[in-house]
Amino acid sequence: MSDRLTKMQIPIILTAIIGILMIIEFFFPMPTAMTSLNVTLRSFVTIISAAALILGTLVLTIYHGKKVGTKSSEWYYSIIYIAAFVITAGLGVINVRDTTFLWIYNNMTSPIGAALYSLTAFYITSAAYRVLRARNWNSAVLLVCALIVLLMLIPVGAILFPPVVPIGTWIRSIPSGAGFRGMIIGTSLGIMGLGVRVFTGRQKEHLGIREERRKE
Amino acid sequence: MAIIVEGRIFGLIALLVITGSIVYYMQKAYSGKIPKLRRLQAVDVIDEILGRCVEMGRPAYYLMDTVSMDTPSILAPTVAAFQILAYTARRAAHLGSKFFVPVTQGLAYTIASEVVDEAYKAENKQDELKLEETVMYLPDGADRMYIINHMWSDEMAGAFFLGSWYHKAVIFTENAARVGAMMLGGTDTTHNIPFLVAICDYSLIGEELYALGAYLSEDPTVSASLAGQDIGKYIAALLIILGSILITIGMDIKGLLSM
Repeated sequence: MSDRLTKMQIPIILTAIIGILMIIEFFFPMPTAMTSLNVTLRSFVTIISAAALILGTLVLTIYHGKKVGTKSSEWYYSIIYIAAFVITAGLGVINVRDTTFLWIYNNMTSPIGAALYSLTAFYITSAAYRVLRARNWNSAVLLVCALIVLLMLIPVGAILFPPVVPIGTWIRSIPSGAGFRGMIIGTSLGIMGLGVRVFTGRQKEHLGIREERRKE
Repeated sequence: MAIIVEGRIFGLIALLVITGSIVYYMQKAYSGKIPKLRRLQAVDVIDEILGRCVEMGRPAYYLMDTVSMDTPSILAPTVAAFQILAYTARRAAHLGSKFFVPVTQGLAYTIASEVVDEAYKAENKQDELKLEETVMYLPDGADRMYIINHMWSDEMAGAFFLGSWYHKAVIFTENAARVGAMMLGGTDTTHNIPFLVAICDYSLIGEELYALGAYLSEDPTVSASLAGQDIGKYIAALLIILGSILITIGMDIKGLLSM
């Protein structure tokens, strides 16, 4: 089989068939066998996306390996990465249910992830301070609306200023809701456009293939 | 047994009409009638940011946040971000601006590397490109501290926040603002649009990101599908107006919609 057929045409045809199957299942009542086939196909997504992780890990390990080999700047951090990678991956390969492996995940990986995520709380505060300054009319409106909604959301706000509840609810459900719906419609249409391009084989980035098609 | 699942007839009609119009405009584009796209101000902003970086001798960061290529809602903005990256990397190569593209997913890393490599080759400046240092794979999670740390140590002068942005939008844009970088932000994740709009110097709201990607890529297929999507927008606007009128005059349209 030619390279183009295996690398491009078969994946595009498969994508289109499976995608259309999912759409048909959503709109039309299907026999149980067909529904269970679609469920199985959806579980393939998880397995295939996990395979993509291997590529990234490989690239990162090569990068850090080279850094240690050439002793470039901050190469000692790369040793920490390689050691952590070897120990964790090794333990995981031997037995993924092993208590040491789970200990590493529960007591190191998971808390580090949570700690990094919690950074958002601090930055969101300083970002709010930066944004909520009445520099012009637009930002003044934003400031007033944000204050009303914040007061509505905190328990003491509603007790101190009861009118903030109906006004805040109105801001969230009418002007804010209308704006967001407009954005969602635009985004959904964009996804539909992408779907058509993917099914017709005009967009191949999801296969790791990029083609430039500039107009003449 | 019903032929169509209850409550999904309108959805199916809308899908067929919009998909049909996208395919129609794509066919028209193949026959040479490519829809014209309006030039967005963001195109000049890209040059402005890169020019600033060259003048100050500091790098520009191109950040895309979530680049999961197997989730349709993320793939759409990611593809647009790659299209913009192709132009931005080429302009960076042309102007001689230092450029850094961290990526958190394997497949996206491969594409980003290829895009940047092609851009430097197109400008005949491949000798100036250190691909491993320009496009870097960073595991999701570890990328936050690495990028924040380097934002400060590199004293970056410009940043692009384009693609599918989640909570990292606040972390990175706030740091970039503190460093004093000029920023262009754009995402279609509705809950993070406000942060990018509020903090960045220039922003792209929702599908403006797709439009910029289509404009810069000069890809007739993408431009044509944008024209087809516009038909969907007209239908949506018409239905909103019609629905508002019917509800105002007291008609119950719930039954109609649940068909």
